[in-house]
Amino acid sequence: MPGLTQYGYRDAMSGFFEFPTENARRILPAHLEPVEVHHGTSVFALTAFDFDKSEVGAYGEVVMAVVVAPLVKPGQPFPKSAMYPYLVATTTKAARDHAIERWHLPHWMDDVDIAFDRQKDHVTVHVKADGAPVADLTIYQYEWHPVSHLHQSFMKDGDANYLAHITMEGQHSEHENEKGSVKLYEHPFNKVLSIADVYDVPFREQWMRDGRQTFQPLEQLETA
Amino acid sequence: MEAAHKKESGKPVFSDYDYSNFYYGSGDDPLNLLPPFNEWYREAKPNGYYLYNEPLETAPTTKVRVRDGKTQEVRDLVNLASYNYLGISYRPEVKQAAMDALQKYGLGASGSPILSGTFDVHVELAKAVAEFKDKEAAILFPTGYSANVGFISAIMRAGDHIFCDQYSHASIVDGAILAKSKTVFFRHNNPMDLERKLSGVRGKKLVVVEGVYSMDGDVCLLPEIVDVAKRHGARILIDEAHSTFLFGPNGRGVSEHFGLDDQVDFHLGTFSKSLGGQGGFVAGSKDLIDYLTGFGRSRFFSCNLAPALAAGLTTGVRIVMNEPQLRARLWSNVAFLRRRFAEEGIDIGKSTSQVMPVMVNNDAKVFAVAEKTQQGGLFLQPVTYPALPKHKSRLRISVSAAHSEEELEFAVGVIGRVLREEGICRA
Repeated sequence: MPGLTQYGYRDAMSGFFEFPTENARRILPAHLEPVEVHHGTSVFALTAFDFDKSEVGAYGEVVMAVVVAPLVKPGQPFPKSAMYPYLVATTTKAARDHAIERWHLPHWMDDVDIAFDRQKDHVTVHVKADGAPVADLTIYQYEWHPVSHLHQSFMKDGDANYLAHITMEGQHSEHENEKGSVKLYEHPFNKVLSIADVYDVPFREQWMRDGRQTFQPLEQLETA
Repeated sequence: MEAAHKKESGKPVFSDYDYSNFYYGSGDDPLNLLPPFNEWYREAKPNGYYLYNEPLETAPTTKVRVRDGKTQEVRDLVNLASYNYLGISYRPEVKQAAMDALQKYGLGASGSPILSGTFDVHVELAKAVAEFKDKEAAILFPTGYSANVGFISAIMRAGDHIFCDQYSHASIVDGAILAKSKTVFFRHNNPMDLERKLSGVRGKKLVVVEGVYSMDGDVCLLPEIVDVAKRHGARILIDEAHSTFLFGPNGRGVSEHFGLDDQVDFHLGTFSKSLGGQGGFVAGSKDLIDYLTGFGRSRFFSCNLAPALAAGLTTGVRIVMNEPQLRARLWSNVAFLRRRFAEEGIDIGKSTSQVMPVMVNNDAKVFAVAEKTQQGGLFLQPVTYPALPKHKSRLRISVSAAHSEEELEFAVGVIGRVLREEGICRA
């Protein structure tokens, strides 16, 4: 299909954490609505990618996002979920420039260090920016099954709002056994989060490996 | 990854989705979610979701006649799904009281309880409940859901704080939403997390717990919760939907069981569980009940309970007060089933009550397990995500005092066989 952009990854691990809806609303643009797991409790998602194949080579990436309501249109494929990535960080300048130019994703403007500490049944991802720790994310595996899931990603760049349709393919493990964890550090990287109010155990842990992330061409949204 | 690529182009696989996917959706039309939902549901229903809403054609005794949601075949099944924990709803004297009231008053109350909808049978029921709960007064609500929604929104306001267990019933959550208070969820049955959440919070605070949690069948850690709440100046509401008429020396509930009846500020219960009827209540001081009469909107703006129902329930409450052997019989059945499940290697999770989850822990298999148990002669439903965390799916059993040991033994045999066939429990 013309216009598709593909990225191959070795690992893509996500932790989904409860945090106050007030915090989510402070992060989100007005046209997006946070998904709540409970009344007053929204979802902060931290995802770490280990990309091994892309137009800009291999690189690491972390995505800080809020889970939001997907945009549903008649006759269009139905997405499984939607995100608003409010901060992305990469290990290379080339990857950062590419994502800013093509996807209008908001970035931490310096390279970050992302280390994947792979153990038998879990991985801990250590993220550092400017030499200081930003986040440590641990995700445990469950059963593995092949999937192909359609997701949406909303972006805002100045006054312009965008939507990307993203298909995630690969081996998929997902559970809600509350085994993983996150440690978020006081750092400018995390300035929009009330860290004490982010629950440090993910209610859901998702791990995809040996897969492919496919972006359809970006769609510009008309919002009020 | 190949398998993922083999899916029909553009067509989602129904098992990739569940109810949670069809709740949120932005766009231009509130009906936008209907086509994708119905496309999913048309596939999901024959693959297991038909097990919900199957109509019963007999009274909810320990044996029921059920119309199969897929084949439309009518089958006689051992009933492990209905609440009716004490087997009250079909007792002859209960039915007679309801029939007498039906003859006298007709079908419904024909009005709100504060206007024309209160009859002498409602007053009698409220008095019986107050006497049973050893409180000054009680107020009736049309359902248990309505009782939580009406009570919480009657006493809490915007700017107040409500602290709910994360596994709170939807009626508690909806009550908090209606109250417009800040709602904070603490980890399930975890007094330490409650302590952490309460720390430093000023103003009006309400802690809400349930006597027995309806998905796991575990009992509230009430002494520890009360201790934390008292130290932080919070009031405590206990929803004893699944524990009233069952727990404690007089059956008043988990608060009586722990000797904390006077330490808990607000006592809420239902008639639909232990009595197999319908309705909810709050019992407490006369001052509290008078206030709720004026501010319990879910009651104020609903038609009152049908008089026939109120009359039957009053008889049911009297039976509970006069026949403690019913509770003894229930707990004997619970002990029997627990022992037999343990002997068969069947996992019932954290249950310490008459609510017993048979843990399947496999979202992909739970519908097949439920289907096979129904074909084997049991009426019970699967419970899965999003009502539970992913991979915590189960069959939920309600034990009744009315079950015979033969019926329970039959259930153990069917469940054990199916779980072994599906590789869920050991051979």
